[in-house]
Amino acid sequence: MRRLRSLARRLLGVRRTPTYYLPWLTRPGLTCTVMVNNIERRFHVDAQRGPFDASVVQRDADGHVVRRYTARLPTATDTAEITLEPTRAGAGFVIVESDRIASDLYVALSDDDAYTATHGRFEFVEHYPLVPRLALRTVGALLAFAHRTLPLFTRDQFVYVGPDNRSHVLVMNLADVTNRIRVVASRDGAPLGVRLVTLPPLGTHLFDITPLAGACSRTTCLRLRIEGNAWFNLYLVGAGPRDLFGPLSLMHVK
Amino acid sequence: MSNSLSGLLSATFHEAGYDHLVELVHQRDTHERRRLASLDVAVYAPDGTPLHGAALDPTSEALDLARLVAAIPGAPTRVFVTFDARYDERVFAYRPHHYGYLHRRAGASASLYYAVTAALGGVPDRIGNTKINNFESYLFMPLGGAELRSVLLGNVARFAPAQVEVITYYGRARNASTVTLAPKAHTEVSLPANHDGGRLERVEVKASFRVASYIVGRRADSEELVLFDHLFTYTR
Repeated sequence: MRRLRSLARRLLGVRRTPTYYLPWLTRPGLTCTVMVNNIERRFHVDAQRGPFDASVVQRDADGHVVRRYTARLPTATDTAEITLEPTRAGAGFVIVESDRIASDLYVALSDDDAYTATHGRFEFVEHYPLVPRLALRTVGALLAFAHRTLPLFTRDQFVYVGPDNRSHVLVMNLADVTNRIRVVASRDGAPLGVRLVTLPPLGTHLFDITPLAGACSRTTCLRLRIEGNAWFNLYLVGAGPRDLFGPLSLMHVK
Repeated sequence: MSNSLSGLLSATFHEAGYDHLVELVHQRDTHERRRLASLDVAVYAPDGTPLHGAALDPTSEALDLARLVAAIPGAPTRVFVTFDARYDERVFAYRPHHYGYLHRRAGASASLYYAVTAALGGVPDRIGNTKINNFESYLFMPLGGAELRSVLLGNVARFAPAQVEVITYYGRARNASTVTLAPKAHTEVSLPANHDGGRLERVEVKASFRVASYIVGRRADSEELVLFDHLFTYTR
């Protein structure tokens, strides 16, 4: 399947741009901060030749740019904290570009008392030429009538539901085409339901697991099969007793 | 099953009062092609005393670690848990990963999802990875004063004690302390939020060989976990 996808990409002219990205979430009382650093380069031969500059582009759930930021690190052991702008949608991802920063960057969710943190991922964003883009849009729209998508990329992921806790899924469309994401949930082999969500180019969707999972008297593991018509990735969002209105955590997956 | 299996030893910590589930295979596929050949779990007291050891069913999805530890008579409030996996590298092109999910029962904080630290093995020769993995770092944002930070350290070695140096940075001030861990022993090293007028900015963990390490954040009032994550190896 991987070789077939690679061949299809070449034939269609799909480009992949190396990209470092991090997810973000904002809620009332919850601040999201990106921590730019270059600490993993501190022993490198050019580590003393600062400053190190980075540009950060914050994209909203609909894929549009919310704001652009710049960060400057005087030395390789300095850090720069960028507090992201809250939006109505409250979710998305940021793309960080820098010629000389090569360190995992952190993203933190903080309330008045504490913060949780995870790191970003160095992957790629897919760029589609016009014809494949239109073709994907048409085929995707047709398949959507049957609650299907073109399953060019798939992921399997466990999520968790308990009486006062759960994990949701932040799905990020890492392509400049509309990405229809189909989520199939099951527990112990028994189907729980299917959802189809449409993500705009470079858009994000916070997938609330509650309607599929229902109530659980003890913390239980559910299985998700996630399919998309273009490249996507996900982070898990941990929630406590106040669910999406209380403290949250973000965590990367492989 | 292949007659040439690869090995991976991963480790985590469990504390009483938490729901704690560990995925045997992170991102297990629907058809269960991604499965381990075997997986053994072992539980140790802080001084390294073995408390429990068992082979798990590698076809199961997740281990209820809280339930397993609760069934151990006299288990201390925190234990060190190792997972010894055997796998076919044709099935796992890089290596398998175990991920964990934990939440304090009746707690107010968010649940946490984390990657179980791979401590021994799991790096195939063909990758040619020569990076050292026994020197790790972690950066901190300013703490609000209602939060505690620490590192949890566990020695996965069977026979050798581990000397671990924990170095904290507060602006230009640098503090170092050394802990010695007997085989399979573990400890939690507190990281004060402030020192000599500076705030905690960074921690480094150095050991003579790879140890299991986690960065830990707790709410000061309840000591409930708000952060449980891996550190970062330094080389790029």
